Amino acid sequence: MFHAFDSSAPNRPKPPLTRPDWMALLARAPMPVLEAALAPHSAAAPRWLRAPETGLMMVQGRAGGTGERFNLGEVTVTRCALRLPGASQQAPVGVAYVMGRSQRHAQLAALADALLQDPSQQPVLEAQLLQPVREHLAHEQVQRQQRVQSTKVEFFTVARESGGADDEEEGA
Amino acid sequence: MAHDLSSVVAGFSHEAFGSQAVFRSALQALSHPGRCIPVAHDAELPRHGNAAAAVLLLAMLDADCGLWLSPSLRDSDAAMWLRFHTGCQLVEQAAQAQFVWVGAGDPLPALKSLRQGSDECPDQSATCVVDVHSLSAGADAETQHWTLSGPGIREQALLSVTGLPGDFAAQWALNHAGFPRGVDLFLATRDVLVGLPRTTRIHTPVEA
Repeated sequence: MFHAFDSSAPNRPKPPLTRPDWMALLARAPMPVLEAALAPHSAAAPRWLRAPETGLMMVQGRAGGTGERFNLGEVTVTRCALRLPGASQQAPVGVAYVMGRSQRHAQLAALADALLQDPSQQPVLEAQLLQPVREHLAHEQVQRQQRVQSTKVEFFTVARESGGADDEEEGA
Repeated sequence: MAHDLSSVVAGFSHEAFGSQAVFRSALQALSHPGRCIPVAHDAELPRHGNAAAAVLLLAMLDADCGLWLSPSLRDSDAAMWLRFHTGCQLVEQAAQAQFVWVGAGDPLPALKSLRQGSDECPDQSATCVVDVHSLSAGADAETQHWTLSGPGIREQALLSVTGLPGDFAAQWALNHAGFPRGVDLFLATRDVLVGLPRTTRIHTPVEA
């Protein structure tokens, strides 16, 4: 899964947080961070719009990001939709699609999505939840890079010397 | 609008049991045409559309179904609700739809214009769900009533309906005449469902 934040340039000014951004972060967030940040909200049962359900989704890819679309394979996805406990009928709906079978992860991600749609909650959650998740993902990426780096093979090709030697042999 | 979930409410509290209970009511309704079948359910309902019709469609539709909605329902929260919970496709033309839902007071599309199925596959016809103002079994002096006969009815059944267009009985006679092709129909109020399969004949009382 590639996202804009996977290869963001460090100097670029930080764009405002959008819903797709935080939903992508929440879907990849580690459970301990989610549990800790959402502890005050996750005690009461939410109002389910769609209880967590696990199924398969076909992932499609394009070679190089521009080629013809092809089916990459199926992934297990758990999804759910909910409103906050005690919210009104018109309250924002939190939605989560999470890879894997963890219903708890989907529930917490949807809960966070519902909370983040309220601008007054955003700064707190940004600091307690999204930033740690970003750091975790960056850390994971560095570790993966280091692990892969250790098996890197440098292929040397002996540069062919300039044509002079061959000419001499032929001449001899 | 298309992705705005703010007006969507929950469906059945348990999807399988809820749909099965409603499906049972639908079976009862079609096997006893003209009988008023109560529909029990625990779904939260959209503001538009009659409840019995809404839960019937919630139970029946899936991602392979094309649904046509009459103008008063097309942009309502009922459309979003059905899309969200069932994944059905909303189609522009009533003639393409497997299911047709006509809101109370909206004009009923001509039954002959809906999918009729074929002689080989009469099951591929459309199912029409129509919201009506009131339904009651038996003759009512105040309102127009019909005498029904056909399979599933021992001798005859009486049904009073308000909220259907005046030429409905004539359209239904045409629909019945096309057997085995033709549409099946459900009439729905808030809590009651009446089935009219294509095999049922409607006799209107002769105006004295």
